[in-house]
Amino acid sequence: MLPEIGETGQYKLLKSKVLIIGAGGLGAAILPYLAAAGVGEIGIVDDDVVELSNLQRQVIYKNSSVGKYKVEEAKSMVTALNSDVKVNAVAEKLSGKNAIALFENYDIIVDATDNLQIKYLINDACLITNKPMVYGSIFRFQGQVSVFNYQNGPTYRCLYPDENSSSVNCTDAGVIGISVGIIGMLQANEVIKMILETGEVLSGKILVYNVLNNEQQKYDFEKNDSFVMDRNIFKGKYSQKENRVEEISAEAVLNQIDNEEVLFLDVRNEDELPKITFRNSIQIPLMNLEGEIEKLDSNQTIYVFCQSGMRSKIAVELLQKMDFKNLKSVEGGALALKELLTKEIKI
Amino acid sequence: MIEVKYFGAVAEKTQCSFENVVSSNISLQDLLQDLEEKYQFESLSFSVAVNQKIVSKTTDYALKTSDIVALLPPFAGG
Repeated sequence: MLPEIGETGQYKLLKSKVLIIGAGGLGAAILPYLAAAGVGEIGIVDDDVVELSNLQRQVIYKNSSVGKYKVEEAKSMVTALNSDVKVNAVAEKLSGKNAIALFENYDIIVDATDNLQIKYLINDACLITNKPMVYGSIFRFQGQVSVFNYQNGPTYRCLYPDENSSSVNCTDAGVIGISVGIIGMLQANEVIKMILETGEVLSGKILVYNVLNNEQQKYDFEKNDSFVMDRNIFKGKYSQKENRVEEISAEAVLNQIDNEEVLFLDVRNEDELPKITFRNSIQIPLMNLEGEIEKLDSNQTIYVFCQSGMRSKIAVELLQKMDFKNLKSVEGGALALKELLTKEIKI
Repeated sequence: MIEVKYFGAVAEKTQCSFENVVSSNISLQDLLQDLEEKYQFESLSFSVAVNQKIVSKTTDYALKTSDIVALLPPFAGG
């Protein structure tokens, strides 16, 4: 037993409650270590299911996990590892609606997400609930770690005030599992240090780690008090702009057929009829979309259609998660388009 | 000589992780403007550090010849 931890330390771990947002690569690295250390209660938030392509970096999942909810699979892993840990599996997307109520039940919030907008949401909800946010993120072979809002310290917005910036996630950029593991491990280490009140917490500092040359640097940053956040501002900011799927009618689509700025994305399987191709169209079946994402440009205006308008909504949600910005789902899908096209020809 | 370090997507634009800029009496704002012209960072946003400290106001910041500047974009992978 480490003298720095001892029985008192173990008791502190048992009494602590940690919420991990995201059960992807970072979450998969952080979770087993917190559970094995004896953190008493761990919440995991993620609405995704395990996919085969996740397994190279999300190491807590098995081949048999594919298709199942990540949080449920993560929960059974923790229970098998340390049955004393209370695990709360939350199969929801973090949003302005659930964030504050969730955060209030925990002591420490861990950001293990792969999306910049969610990081601002986590940051703002941490400010309101007065919880520290353990930040980690990856760009190919580099990672960043920091702890925000620790004892009123600087926040994510003090480091990155520009909310509208963009950066690619792991699925787009490509990443080896080990880089994610190292950064997740550093986050878990910050969590444990805060619980045990030992060492120096990475507050007001961002650690940048390069796995290719093992260089790491710490950069100091200061608190900027000009940003104000309270429950009303939070509500106004996050209540209406939950990722809604915008739809466009088949009629409106026909006016855009020759618009070169618009790409038509057919997410049906190749054998589905009627075949519909426009001058600027591409077919990627929904189930291949994530794997073939490099065929698409996240800044382009894309109208997504399927057979009847259901799968295209799912595709839009998926693309929104990957930071695509200008998306619309075609109401009624190929069937509605076909009907209008046939009419037009008759006229 | 001022050393400029690049990270993440910024390093991808510059295609190098650091470079030395020969200049005397240059302000941080001028340096950033020169780099923007050279590399066209466009929509890429980043924070700027001088000697391991993030600078919140890059205007009116005079650089010394031994300074190390770093451009740190946010990362989003996980």
